[in-house]
Amino acid sequence: MRASLFITCYNDTLFPETGRAVVGLMERLGVEIEFRTEQTCCGQMHANTGFRGEAFSQAKRFVQLYRDAEAVVIPSSSCVAMIRDQYPGLFEELGNSALREEFSALLPRVYEFSEFLVDRLQVEDVGAWFPHRVTYHASCHGVRALHLGDRPYRLLSKVRGLTQAPLQNVDRCCGFGGTFSVKNAEVSSAMLATKLQDVMATEAEYCTALDNSCLMHLGGAMHRQYLGMKTIHLAEILANTESSSAEATQ
Amino acid sequence: MNESAQGHLASKHAILDPALALPFPQAALPILRDPQLRRNIAHATDIIQAKRAKLVAEKTDWWQLRDAASAIRNHALENLGTYLEEFESRCTAAGGRVHWAADAAEARRIILELLREEKASEVIKIKTMTSAEIQLNPFLQKAGVDVFETDLAEIILQLGEEEPSHIVVPALHINREQVREIFARRMGLEHLSDDPEALTAAARNYLRQKFLKIPTAIGGANFLIAETGSVVVVESEGNGRMCLTLPRTMITLAGIEKVLPRFRDLEVMLQVLARSATGERMNPYTSLWTGVMPGDGPQHFHVVLLDNGRSPILARRTERQTLKCIRCAACINTCPVYRQTGGHAYGSVYPGPIGAILTPQLEQMKHAQSLPYASSLCGACYEVCPVKINIPEVLIELRARVVDEERDHSKRLIDPMYVGMKLANFLFQKAWRFHLAQRLGRIAVLIFTGHDGWIHSLPGMGAKWTQTRDLRGLPRQTFHEWWATRAREKK
Amino acid sequence: MNASDQSRQNILASIRAATRVGATDSLQVAADYEALPRTYIRRGELSNEELCELMVERLREYDAAVTECAPEALAATIAAQLKASGWQTFIAPTNLPADWLTSGFNWKIDRKLRTEEVEEAEGVVTAAFCGIADSGTIVLHHSEAEGRRLLSLLPDWHLCVLRASQLVETLPEYFDRCKEPPHLATYISGPSATADIEMTRIKGVHGPRFLVVILVRDV
Repeated sequence: MRASLFITCYNDTLFPETGRAVVGLMERLGVEIEFRTEQTCCGQMHANTGFRGEAFSQAKRFVQLYRDAEAVVIPSSSCVAMIRDQYPGLFEELGNSALREEFSALLPRVYEFSEFLVDRLQVEDVGAWFPHRVTYHASCHGVRALHLGDRPYRLLSKVRGLTQAPLQNVDRCCGFGGTFSVKNAEVSSAMLATKLQDVMATEAEYCTALDNSCLMHLGGAMHRQYLGMKTIHLAEILANTESSSAEATQ
Repeated sequence: MNESAQGHLASKHAILDPALALPFPQAALPILRDPQLRRNIAHATDIIQAKRAKLVAEKTDWWQLRDAASAIRNHALENLGTYLEEFESRCTAAGGRVHWAADAAEARRIILELLREEKASEVIKIKTMTSAEIQLNPFLQKAGVDVFETDLAEIILQLGEEEPSHIVVPALHINREQVREIFARRMGLEHLSDDPEALTAAARNYLRQKFLKIPTAIGGANFLIAETGSVVVVESEGNGRMCLTLPRTMITLAGIEKVLPRFRDLEVMLQVLARSATGERMNPYTSLWTGVMPGDGPQHFHVVLLDNGRSPILARRTERQTLKCIRCAACINTCPVYRQTGGHAYGSVYPGPIGAILTPQLEQMKHAQSLPYASSLCGACYEVCPVKINIPEVLIELRARVVDEERDHSKRLIDPMYVGMKLANFLFQKAWRFHLAQRLGRIAVLIFTGHDGWIHSLPGMGAKWTQTRDLRGLPRQTFHEWWATRAREKK
Repeated sequence: MNASDQSRQNILASIRAATRVGATDSLQVAADYEALPRTYIRRGELSNEELCELMVERLREYDAAVTECAPEALAATIAAQLKASGWQTFIAPTNLPADWLTSGFNWKIDRKLRTEEVEEAEGVVTAAFCGIADSGTIVLHHSEAEGRRLLSLLPDWHLCVLRASQLVETLPEYFDRCKEPPHLATYISGPSATADIEMTRIKGVHGPRFLVVILVRDV
């Protein structure tokens, strides 16, 4: 089957290795990956900061770009939440019924990365190898908007050599929150400190998640404080095998 | 008592007036630097959350109750005019008097007039956040009426000259040593221990005579029942029962949104309220009364219905759900932002997630504009709300309203956030613009990138990030550049 | 028109404009109300025996003292409880059954007792309207056997006589039992408590610190 990768604006710029991992993994699983070069952003940052008018045009672009895609895979649960939860309201407000119909038709074909593996490809063991102690942070949009449930854990449990270290208060927000991380930087940092206490207590080598936004927030503090842990996107763990080890991790 | 507790108590918070409060990010700062306070808040909210979670897990029809509670509240709001008139008619027929206050000033005036009618120089009060919303106590004090709060938390706040930081447990930010200090000083009890039992006993003694002697009481309402004209007060301590039973005159102040259609609706609301608010199957005392009952309780009863910005909220499709709130504070208890900052940072008697959406709206969006941004949009509040208020949805809507107002301001052109957002949108319209910006950005951050490939310090808005976090330097190749290279190589 | 009437008009007008519901829609309002989804538990499944067990368990969780007895032993059980309390002066609602007024105690029947008299008494005995086992809630509708509200509020010791036939499992079933809504009601689910100081639950702030329940097995 064919899947179109929507890399997301911030992954494209800051975490290309996650995209490379998704491509590598998909090809290993026999999925033909395509990449539409006109893609930019889903509009979440604008919509959530109050710039709704600006988000309209980005939403339109997304639908027009992917209207004929067999499936769209997105390695970012917050972007998928934007598309599922906010696009309907945006299109209704725009009042363009043709666009709304196109969107409704497209929506069932839009998948968050772990959803694509577990629900669409119906695979949990992707042949991955990652001999490390890993803790999983459940990003808020994944938990509450997408109801990902135990999909990430099922995928992780099949990774050879990997030991899962459960995280206390696993679904407590890490404090990133998009522009919240700068508009309310001090509160964001306090939330980060609280989260890091739980993360570090797992004594894992790696902290993983389905959103690089959370991971850059956690990882940024880990790096600043010389903490003995790194962050890595789940896709990169799953892409890792004995013969193709994960690239420069954060 | 340690220094920081002393310091916190000594600082006089301005009355929690949204018109005067500092923006949330600034207001939060001193609290973030107060370890005692942060500990108190985290401790208290963790306990209530755990209790709530246990009881919700036990309640096999929790989701159905929540659906029903949401539906009942939606229906009540959709037909608010009809139900308010029905309430007024029944309450009046039962011997009560119903007054309507368009705003805080009018509510205060009406209440003072009623007190003058009674020649009341003292009143006892049941805790009601609505009275704090209209700043009733200072107004009455200035008019020569002594106000005695009777709820333990409210006594602590009143005697300690503190402000509430939570809508169900208003003194949650104060620990036992601090309470002991307040009581010892204000009640003249030098040898008082800080054991909560001793403190509670001190409060009980302090209040007994007041209950028995003061003939006028003011309280709030958890629910108004339209079908019967009844008022429902939900409490734990019994001070409510004292105030609504012993005096000659009872004045109930209630927001117009408090109305439920029928008596029967309590079978849903009481089940979700107690579990959500205090993690109990049922709170110790719930009282229901209708107008005046000859020979039992106050023989003069007044209800002051308060609008104060509520009816405009009804008109807005997304925001209307704000009024479904039954003031359980489950959202506050679960909020990871509140857990760090406590209630005072919100500059309103309504803090936390509900405060972030209610306060700016009650202020007609003229004040408290920083509150809709005081959230990471994690959604934990929506998950626990017993009446299914989609708080994140309302927050995003209010953010859009704040920005829409900004669009008319010339100051926007020097606001880095505003400029940045407009620029980003421009770039996102065309892939080539975005790609060009990425290339330029990659070059631009080079001067900030250390030898280890990480950025430790950025200027401007970026400094807000780097004050506590590093940022990995921009990779040499974006994903799309890698893809393009790979595609070329394949050929 | 005075200021309050003006505000009343303005507020209602504002509400009506916001909700666009006209005055003639009352049938529609009633129909919409009836159509609200109620898929929660409306009825329990426990036998009366199990209800009694559950009610007793819940009451004990709240530190109420509970005794069960057969109907014919009620008067004696009341007498025993009064004696065990150590108190002498008890308030009785106007229409408490005569055989509940154990001799040898100082009974104050509530014939317009002054507040001071109620305050000076040491205990009170009342009947009840209903018991809700799920939450251990005792419901008083303040009939003549339950007494006006003051009576079960001021004394420090409250003996409540609850019948097994008055028990329901769930809150909705209590509402089923109300032929019409009560004018006055007090729902007691344990002695007064506060958790305002560091979330530490302290009992007995205001209201009776001692709640004694006799559960009469009349089913």
